Amino acid sequence: MKSYIIPSFALAALALTSCGAPSTPTTWDQIENRGYVIVGLDDTFAPMGFRNQAGEIVGFDVDLAKLVFETLDIEVRFQPIDWSAKFLELDSGSIDMVWNGLTITEPRRLETLFSDPYLANRQIVLTKAGSTISTINQLANKKVGVQLGSASQDAVEANQIFALLNELVTFDTFDLALTDLSLDTIDAIVVDEIYGRYVMSQQPGIYKVLEEDFGDELYGIGFRLGNTTIRDTVNDTLFDLITSGEATAISETWFAEDILLRP
Amino acid sequence: MSDFSPEYLLETTSYLLDGAWFSLSLFTITLVFSIPLSLVIAAMYRFVKASRPVIRLYTLLFRGTPLMLQLFFIMFGLPSIGIRIDRELVAYYGFIVNYAAYFVEIIRAGLEIIPKDQEESAFIMGASAPRTYWSILMPQALRMQVPVFTNEMITLIKDTSLVTVIAISDILRRVREVVSRDFTLSPFFLAAIFYLIVSYLIVLIMRRVEKRFDFQ
Repeated sequence: MKSYIIPSFALAALALTSCGAPSTPTTWDQIENRGYVIVGLDDTFAPMGFRNQAGEIVGFDVDLAKLVFETLDIEVRFQPIDWSAKFLELDSGSIDMVWNGLTITEPRRLETLFSDPYLANRQIVLTKAGSTISTINQLANKKVGVQLGSASQDAVEANQIFALLNELVTFDTFDLALTDLSLDTIDAIVVDEIYGRYVMSQQPGIYKVLEEDFGDELYGIGFRLGNTTIRDTVNDTLFDLITSGEATAISETWFAEDILLRP
Repeated sequence: MSDFSPEYLLETTSYLLDGAWFSLSLFTITLVFSIPLSLVIAAMYRFVKASRPVIRLYTLLFRGTPLMLQLFFIMFGLPSIGIRIDRELVAYYGFIVNYAAYFVEIIRAGLEIIPKDQEESAFIMGASAPRTYWSILMPQALRMQVPVFTNEMITLIKDTSLVTVIAISDILRRVREVVSRDFTLSPFFLAAIFYLIVSYLIVLIMRRVEKRFDFQ
């Protein structure tokens, strides 16, 4: 009955043949030779990257990336990823960069090579409009929601209020945290201002923002560690476009003003 | 546009259906490959004694760890030793190997229940061991385990949503995409209806299968 072994080996062989995918590029020349670049993004993070009614991936970062790679004359492919697995995706080579409102933090520098900051952001606290919470200290004994693996989670955990919280609830995506907030199962969420403001513009009157925040931050593009030529090429092109004013229109489209950072 | 207005529901449904297509294809391909694979492995277990420890280890590993972890491992663990597999193939391989592990044990359980005297009678009447296995034991084992298979199939269609951890746009991930854009809960109901319909169809079809092969 040895013949039974053959089909199982055939399956294993099938598995191995499908690994003929091109090896992970580590320099810009290798990217150019391959002919395309893969941008990883969380397609549930409006307005940086999300799906429009037609199901296409759109957003501020998406437009910015398109402009940069159009200038560099290379095809760009957008690959939706699970946000908590972003650096795993980067290491495994299934994406070349994370470009989706990625906050620059010190711990993350150990896992990714950042571009220069191109956008400023704050970690704001969002509650229901009728909530009695008005300061960060009042979050004591409350349930606070954040996205798992987000800079918001890092910001809350680094703050002294973290020890006093009833619970820090970590969600896969921010929309789930919002849903819970709207159902009053949590009391507040900590979220990127860029996203929080977008939510409030979409649903006016439902939420309010606390005056206090969990600190200022900067957004950057995350590359694989060691891929300096890829980082430099994208970085230089991006800031040329920002300096020359060619990227201004994109910022105005999504945020009604030019909020891009100048080097 | 209201959350539950017909136009909105229609538009959302058509978007979700693209994702439902992947869920269904994963469901179908998993069944098509894992059932024959499990038949082969179950036969090996019976006839190739040396294969038994290996098969026991296989079913222990794949039944003993979460499918989500297995998907993670294939997606992110294997590339570190140089094996890169396309995202959707990761889902197919993961599901096939995982479900085959369960099916092997279900088939083995079915074979165990059949009284030993059937095998002995077949032997006395001159039937070869493989013939006894495939023509006498296996049909009865499969027939007896149909309700268990039905159960597994219903679990399978719901398990397909696990592929969201490797960022495949199945129906549930699409629901989340719509929810994160429009802040409405109606897509969740649409997804629930989809899973219910598929589960109901599975039950209907398998009930027929049960009747058709009711030869006891």
